[in-house]
Amino acid sequence: MLDARARVERLLEGARGLVHDAVLAEEIARSTGLSPGGVSLAMRRYLERDPSPGEIAKLVHGATPSSQVHVILSANVFTAPLRALAVACAASIRVSVKPSRRDPAFTRALVRRVPDLEITVRDAVDAATLSDGEVHVYGRDETVLAVRSAAPRGVLVRAHGAGLGVAIVTGGAALEEAARRVADDVVVFDQRGCLSPRVVLVVGDASRGAAFADALALELAAWEPVAARGVLDRDEARDAARYVETMRFAGSVARGDTYAVGLAPEGMPLVVPPPGRHVHVATVGELCEVLGVLTPIERLVVAVGTDDEAALRAVLRPDARVRWSPLGQMQKPPFDGPVDLR
Amino acid sequence: MAWDTTESDALHERALGFVRAFEAGQAMPESFDALACDLARFQAASIPGVARLCVARHADPQRFRAATDAPAVPTEAFKVSRVATFPEALTQVTFRTSGTTLGARGSHPMRRTSTYDAAALAFGRWALTLGTPPLPERSPVLVLAPSKAELPDSSLTHMMHLFAGAFGGAGGDADFFIRDGVLELVALDARVSRALVRKEPVLLLGTSFAFVHLLDAVGEAGFRLPEGSRVMQTGGFKGRSREVDAAELRRDLASALAIPGRSVVSEYGMTELSSQFYEGTLAGHALAAGVYVEPPWARVVPVDPESLLPVKEGEPGLARIEDLMNVDSAFAVLASDRVRRVAGGFELLGRWPGASPRGCSIAVDEILGPS
Repeated sequence: MLDARARVERLLEGARGLVHDAVLAEEIARSTGLSPGGVSLAMRRYLERDPSPGEIAKLVHGATPSSQVHVILSANVFTAPLRALAVACAASIRVSVKPSRRDPAFTRALVRRVPDLEITVRDAVDAATLSDGEVHVYGRDETVLAVRSAAPRGVLVRAHGAGLGVAIVTGGAALEEAARRVADDVVVFDQRGCLSPRVVLVVGDASRGAAFADALALELAAWEPVAARGVLDRDEARDAARYVETMRFAGSVARGDTYAVGLAPEGMPLVVPPPGRHVHVATVGELCEVLGVLTPIERLVVAVGTDDEAALRAVLRPDARVRWSPLGQMQKPPFDGPVDLR
Repeated sequence: MAWDTTESDALHERALGFVRAFEAGQAMPESFDALACDLARFQAASIPGVARLCVARHADPQRFRAATDAPAVPTEAFKVSRVATFPEALTQVTFRTSGTTLGARGSHPMRRTSTYDAAALAFGRWALTLGTPPLPERSPVLVLAPSKAELPDSSLTHMMHLFAGAFGGAGGDADFFIRDGVLELVALDARVSRALVRKEPVLLLGTSFAFVHLLDAVGEAGFRLPEGSRVMQTGGFKGRSREVDAAELRRDLASALAIPGRSVVSEYGMTELSSQFYEGTLAGHALAAGVYVEPPWARVVPVDPESLLPVKEGEPGLARIEDLMNVDSAFAVLASDRVRRVAGGFELLGRWPGASPRGCSIAVDEILGPS
């Protein structure tokens, strides 16, 4: 029987076999709305295939052994099932998974690749009928709440809800380089991941914020021929139009066919744009003002990207349970446990 | 230099002309588009944000010929920016929306509330007091909402005070039966009992969530109102009480209060507007429940959520609301509600079908939920 570490490595091996599966890529593009280029980008650069031994050791060490683990996947980016299943397989030899109804392709393909792990794919998981073990639920607040309230005593529910990322460009950063890296973080998954930055705080004066916003717009435009933005659904399109109109009214916005970068005037309350390559740029005079600006959305932030982590850690709350990454690496956190640290 | 109120005052007078004509049962004094375009020009000249919206759409205010030529200001703009033609020092009152997760509250500053008041009373009287038989003058008006003392910056509370004063003759805090977030059922029961003895129909105004609490409180026993009474219910419930389908709420209210279903009238309004919309089930209108009627000075235009252009007649779209009473803010407001034109008015619809959120990135409506 494989031990926890071997199970995780086996799963990674299975994932490596999916990277060049053209049929799967087409299926994912259809179900997620991502463009074929977007799917390819995510597969090639953001699907974890070769984490370090140290990362795997940390993931395994962080898992509490359990009699069985039921994984419920609802709203996630398409590569997320790999990490979710790795966390589950590290905890138990008995794992079942309910794929997202909308995007089941990657999960089913991955499970088919590792038959020896005997992962069961279920169409539904009724938490009320479970008697022991754990439920790992990934999804929106209402999904999490429904599972929590249904699970009987003795069944541990580990929940990973929705969130967003924030990028912070400190006063010492080179703006064009920072913009290029933030664009890398924005483009993949069309910003539908909880690690995706949707707000960027630029430390400095208004002209520095404006220069960054211009540079970011250029970088996002440059991505279009490489990995085009996919299709927005009606709610996303509505929210995008409203965001653009709001920023036109209140500040300014640089907009292309497939992206928008809003620039807030000084003192404007924080706005979070919708996913779909929409970024809100606000300027803060000093690094120490960052926490105050972020306070309204603090509980939603699961990832912080910055060019100067040490300086930023000094001004943010020390107990903040967020993923820290350099700019450009926000979508590639270490493979050392659940993606959101919550 | 003092701000010159001449142009604004003249536009207020023209807007009030619509209200006076409606009350007198006369033809409107001018076309909707004529006043709308003049308002749009005035606002573009006075509010830099409106001017920027015009530039972005390559729209020259001087060339506006129809109301829909002017860009609409999204309701979010009222949360992040001041939407007003006049200096802050001239503000008579600022109405504010309730808070959201992000903390920002929408603000609607007004220089002259008299225009708002006149329009609200005229159309409220039409929607809530007419019908067969009409609500007798000076009927008790009872309000299931916090009073002005508790919520001084709520436009809804302001409107309910107006109604209590104008239709009921009192309008004091004694007519309000939500205090510190608690429904004062005993006091309400005493007022209703008195009306029952006197056979006086009442007008019961309240928010949807307050009515849900009332229904939960009275249970199977019900809460009979005097014959001929009417109910106006408004607003959502999200996060404030158990959520109830609008049709189910109407049915439950009619049953518990022992009044016909058509006497339960829904109102649709928002802080960013100066006009309101009502179901036309009373006032001699044989419209179905769920169909909201506009006063002659306001229009609801469904627009494509991406292009923001009007959709074809009968197709659903985002609500672009044109309100001639919004003289000193934004005459055209882009709301987040989904609507459809139907015979006699418009319907409020739910979310776009099949649009469940993709990915684990938090959705905007989750962020903007009630705090």
